[in-house]
Amino acid sequence: MITDVGAGPHSQAVTEALTRVADAVEGVFGTLREVRDASARCVRRRGRPPVAADLAGLRPLLWARLTGNGVAALIAGIGFIAAPGLLADAHWYLEWWQEHPAGAPVQLLRDLDPSSSAFYDYTHWDWYTGPLSGAERTICGPYVDYLCTDEYSLTLSVPVVLDGAFVGVAAADVFVRRFDGAVLPALREIPAPAFLVNASGRVVSSNTVRWIAGSLYRGGEGFAVRPVRDLPLSLVTAGV
Amino acid sequence: MVVNAARLAVFSPVDSTARVEAVVRRLADAIAVGLLADGEQLPSEAELAASLGVSTVTLREALMALRQQGMVETRRGRGGGSFVRAPAEIDVATRLRLIAVDELRDLGDHYTAIAGAAARLAAQRSLPSDVAPLWRSLDEMAAVAARVAPGMIAQLRRLDGRFHIEVAAASQSARLTQEEIRLQADIGPLLWLSHEALGGHDEMAAQHHAIARAIESGDGDQARALAERHVLDAIDHLIELRLGLEE
Repeated sequence: MITDVGAGPHSQAVTEALTRVADAVEGVFGTLREVRDASARCVRRRGRPPVAADLAGLRPLLWARLTGNGVAALIAGIGFIAAPGLLADAHWYLEWWQEHPAGAPVQLLRDLDPSSSAFYDYTHWDWYTGPLSGAERTICGPYVDYLCTDEYSLTLSVPVVLDGAFVGVAAADVFVRRFDGAVLPALREIPAPAFLVNASGRVVSSNTVRWIAGSLYRGGEGFAVRPVRDLPLSLVTAGV
Repeated sequence: MVVNAARLAVFSPVDSTARVEAVVRRLADAIAVGLLADGEQLPSEAELAASLGVSTVTLREALMALRQQGMVETRRGRGGGSFVRAPAEIDVATRLRLIAVDELRDLGDHYTAIAGAAARLAAQRSLPSDVAPLWRSLDEMAAVAARVAPGMIAQLRRLDGRFHIEVAAASQSARLTQEEIRLQADIGPLLWLSHEALGGHDEMAAQHHAIARAIESGDGDQARALAERHVLDAIDHLIELRLGLEE
C-alpha cells in the first residue's frame, strides 16, 4: 500500500523525518552487528562445544553499548540469545544485560526451562522467529515486554550465523517512549498528522492523538505511506 | 508492660503485618497449586526479599510462618537453604482462611476491572500476531489436559496464568499487564481452584476460547463481558466457600 505522492510543499520535513528515523534505527542495528560478530566469535568451536561461560566474553561490549550517549541512550537491554541446544551446559540461555538506574548494568537471570516455567520458551517471539527465518533485520513490537522489562518496547534483532548455521540472535530492547523522544521532534515538523507504523501497521510513534503509539493503522483514504529506507517501518502522513 | 507493648504496636511500621501475610499467601498459593514444585529450592533470602519488594525481616517472618504450616523446610549448612514442601492435598479452606470476605470481594472488584478493561482493549488493538499466542496457550492446555500425568495440574495452572497475561499484553498497556501479573500472583491460584471446582477443565477451556474468539473478532464489548464473567464466577464461588468457613 505504498503511495508515491511526489514532492509536495512539505516534502522537506517528510524527508528529514525519514532520515531521522532511519538513522536512529540503523544506529541500533549497527550496534547489533557488533554484538552479532562478537557472539559468533564467542561460540566458535575450540575443539569442544561452546558453553554458557564462553559468552561472558561479550560482557565488556554489552556493558559499553548500554552506557553513554547516542545509540546507547536508546538501548535499555542488549545481548545474545542462544538457539536452544547450542550450548553444551544450558539448553536455554540468554546472555542478556539491562541498564540499571542505580549504576552498572545488571544481568537478566531467569528460569528458562519450559518444563518448569510456562513463560520463557523464547523461540515463539517475533524477535527470535524473524532472524531464524532469515530476516536480516527484525523489528518486533511495539509490544508489552512482560518477559524482561514490563515496558512498552521495541525489540530489534539480527541473526547470528556461524559457518552457515543459525546459532542464535543478537537483540536490543528500545523503550517506545525513548524511541519517541528520538523521532518525535522530526515528526512534529511535519505540518499534518504523521506517524510511524511497523510492518503490521501498529503505530510506533506519532504526532497526533488520533493515531497514537499502540493503535492500529489499517490503511485509509488520503494517507501517503512511505517506507523508511529498507527497514520494516513506514511513515504515514495525511495529505502531505 | 501492656501499655508499652500497645504503644510499640502503634509505632510499628503500618503495614508490616499485612506484608508478612501477603508474602505468606503468595508463596503458600504458589506451593498449593504447584507453581513452586515439591523439593524446589527457593532463592536466597536476600534475593527473594528483593524480588518480592519486602525487607529481609518481613521475608524471614513469612518463611517462619510457612515452616510452621509445613510448606517450607529450611536446611542448614552446605547445600542448605529453604525448600518447598508441597502439601499432599490442596486445602482451599486453609488458603481461604487467610483472606476475609470483604477482601475477597475487593480483590474480585479489582481483578474484574483489570481483566475486563484489558480484554476490551485487546479486542480493539489486536493483530493476528497478538492473538496467535493466545491460541497457542489454549492448544497447549488442551494437550496437557488430555493426558493425565504427574505435574499436570501445575502445568495447566501455569498455562492458565500465561493465557491471561497474554490477553493483558495484547491490550498494548504495560500498566494493565503489570496489574494482571500482580493479580495473577495474588489471587490466580485460588481462582484456578475455584474454576476447577465449578465447571472443571472443559468449562474453563470453553470460557477461555470464547474470550480469545471475541478478541480475535475485534468485539470489545463481548470480550470485556466474557473476561469479567470469567473472574466473577470464580470469585463468587470463593466467597460462598469463605462464608461457609468457621473462623
